[in-house]
Amino acid sequence: MANVAAGLLNVLMVLLVAPLFQGIQRKITARIQARQGPPIWQPYFDLLKLLGKEDIEAGTVPAMQRFAAYLSLAAVLTVAFLVPMGTAVPGALVGDAILLIYLLTLMGICNLLAGLAAGSAYSLVGISREMMSMVVLEPLFAIAVIVGALHAHSLRLEIVLNGSAYSGTGVPWSGIVMLGLMLLSFQAFVQRVPFDISEAETELMEGPLMEYSGPKLALFKYAQMAKLVVYSALFIGLFIPWGETLHPPLALLLFWLKSLALVLLVAVVAATHARYRIDQAVRYFAAMMIASLGALVLAAYGY
Amino acid sequence: MLESLCAQMFGRSLWVYHANSGGCNGCDIEVLNVLTPYYDVERFGIKLVGSPRHADAMLCQGPALRATADALRRAYDAMPAPKLVFAIGSCACGGGMWYDSYAVLGPVGKVIPVNFYVPGCPPRPEAIIYGVAVAVGLVDKKAAPVRFKQAEFPIPLYHPDRLHGEGELVIYESPKGV
Amino acid sequence: MLNKIKEAIVCLRPGRVTLPYPAQAEPVPENFRGVPRWDGEKCIGCAGCANNCSARAILVLDPCQELRILQYIGSRCTYCGRCAEVCPEKAIVMSNEFEMATAEASDLQQRLDIFMSTCQRCGRCFKGAAVLEGLKMSGYRSDEVGSGRWVYRSRALLEGDAVVDDIPIELD
Repeated sequence: MANVAAGLLNVLMVLLVAPLFQGIQRKITARIQARQGPPIWQPYFDLLKLLGKEDIEAGTVPAMQRFAAYLSLAAVLTVAFLVPMGTAVPGALVGDAILLIYLLTLMGICNLLAGLAAGSAYSLVGISREMMSMVVLEPLFAIAVIVGALHAHSLRLEIVLNGSAYSGTGVPWSGIVMLGLMLLSFQAFVQRVPFDISEAETELMEGPLMEYSGPKLALFKYAQMAKLVVYSALFIGLFIPWGETLHPPLALLLFWLKSLALVLLVAVVAATHARYRIDQAVRYFAAMMIASLGALVLAAYGY
Repeated sequence: MLESLCAQMFGRSLWVYHANSGGCNGCDIEVLNVLTPYYDVERFGIKLVGSPRHADAMLCQGPALRATADALRRAYDAMPAPKLVFAIGSCACGGGMWYDSYAVLGPVGKVIPVNFYVPGCPPRPEAIIYGVAVAVGLVDKKAAPVRFKQAEFPIPLYHPDRLHGEGELVIYESPKGV
Repeated sequence: MLNKIKEAIVCLRPGRVTLPYPAQAEPVPENFRGVPRWDGEKCIGCAGCANNCSARAILVLDPCQELRILQYIGSRCTYCGRCAEVCPEKAIVMSNEFEMATAEASDLQQRLDIFMSTCQRCGRCFKGAAVLEGLKMSGYRSDEVGSGRWVYRSRALLEGDAVVDDIPIELD
C-alpha cells in the first residue's frame, strides 16, 4: 500500500516538476548564450496557453492523432509510476524489468505514431529519421537494464534499479562501461541537442509534431518534458543510487538534487553543441552499440 | 476558471511564426535580430516556431505578391484561434514602394486580416519589440493622427468690386457677416 | 567534451548583454530618420515632397483655389527622407520617433490644410514667385485623399477623364 502511494507521489512530482526542469534548462541555455532568457516558470505558461488554443484536427488520421497524444503522456507517467524516485518502487506489484524496457520503447513509438497520423511530407521524413535512430539507440538502455539484471540474477525492479550494474565480482567493468555509454547517449534519450534529430527542429518544421495544435501539442510537450525527469530517474536508479536508504524526506531531497545535477549537465551539453546529422548520429550510436554488446558479454561472464 | 487562466497566459507566451511573402528580407533580418541576445525577446516568452499550427502570432513581412498570396492565406488559416497578425515593415503595412507594381497585390491586409501594424523600412528591433508590447498590453501606443488646419471653409475672398477709394487711400470693404 | 565545458565558461564571461528595453529607452543615434513631421506654419504648399516621395505616400488635393490639402499616408512610407531633403522651407523634419506600432493604419496619417493666397485683384495665383508659378504650371491636383489613391494625370488624359487644367477658374 505504501508502495502504491509512493508510485502516485512519483507521478504527481513528475507532473509538477517536469516543466520546472525545462524552464531551468532554457534559462541555463540563455545564460550561456549571454542573454537574459525566459523566467523559469515559462513552460508552465506555455502549457497553459496551449491548453487554451483551438484544436485544429488536420492530418490524415485524426483518431490516431488523438490516440498518439494521449498515449505519449500516459506512457511516460506509467514509467514514472514504476521508477523509484527517492522512495521504494511500487513496481514489484505490477511488473519487472522487461515491462520497463517495453514501456520505454513505447514512449519512442508514440512519436512515430504521431508523425504517421499527421501524414505530411515533413512528418514522414521526421519519423523515418526517428526510426533510424531508434533502431540503434533504444537497445542501449535495454542493455543497461539487462546488465544490471544479469549481475543481480533477478528481474525485479527494486533490485535492478538499485545500482545493480555494479554488483559484479571484483571491479565492475561492465557497469563502468555502461555508465560511460549512458552518459554519452543520455542526450539522445531525452531528445535534446545534439540528438533531437527528428523533432523540435527548424530544419523539419518540427517533424512529427507539425500538424498538432492546442491541447494535443500540450500533451506532447508535457511528455517531452517529463521524459527528462523519468530518464534521469532511471539513470540515477541504475548507476548512482547511493543514499536511497536514508530517512524518506532526505532521500527524496537527495534524489531531486541528483536529478537537478543531471538536468544541468544536459543543459550545458545542449547549449554548447550543434545538432548532428542523421548519418553522423547513427554512426555514433552504432559505435556505442558495439561497445555495449561488449559490456553485455562481460556481464555474462560475471565481470 | 481554467479558461480565464489560459486566456491570461496568452500574453505571457506568444509563439511566433515568421512569414515572408515576398519582401526584400530587410525586415526578416530585423525580426531575427530581435531574437538575438542583444534585444532578447525570449525573456517575454516569445519563441520562434517552425509550423503555423503551433503559432499564436504571425509576423508578416513583404507585400502580398500574386504568387505568394495563396500560401500566405493557407498559413493564416492553419493557425489555431486565438491568433494575432503583425504586419512588419512598410511593405506589409501599406504595400511600401511597390504598392502599384505588377507583381504585387498590395499590403498584407488584402489577403489576411491584420491586427497590428509596425511601420518602418526596416523597423528597428526596438520598434518591433514595442509593437509586440503594445499588442500584449504592456505599453500604450504612441502613434496618433495629426491634423493641421490653416483655413476652413468659407474662405474670405478678396473681390475687386469691394475696393473703394483712389490713389493712396484704397479701402477694402469686407462683406457683411465676416 | 572538456573543451565544450571550457567554451560554456568562456561564453559566460560577457554576462548578460540584453538591453533592458522596453523598460529603459535606448538613445537613438544621430541622423536617425524616423517619422517625418510636417510643420504647418512653414509649409507653403508647393507639393515638392509629394512629387519626390518614393512610395507616393504624400497626396495632394486642391478642393478649391485657396485650399490645398496635403495628406501623408504613413503606412507606405519608407522613411527615406527625400521629402525633407527637397522641401524649400525646411518644413519637414525627420524626427527621432520610431515607435509607431498601432492597431489602425489611420493612426499614422498627417494632414495639412494649407491656405493658398491669391491675388487680391483678380483672384488668381500670379506669376512671379517661382514657387507659386510652379503651382499654376503643374496644375491642380486631385488625388483621392479619402482612399489613399494617387491619380496619375497622364493616365487620366489617356482614359479621357477630365484633367484638372481645363477646369475654369471662376471669378465670383
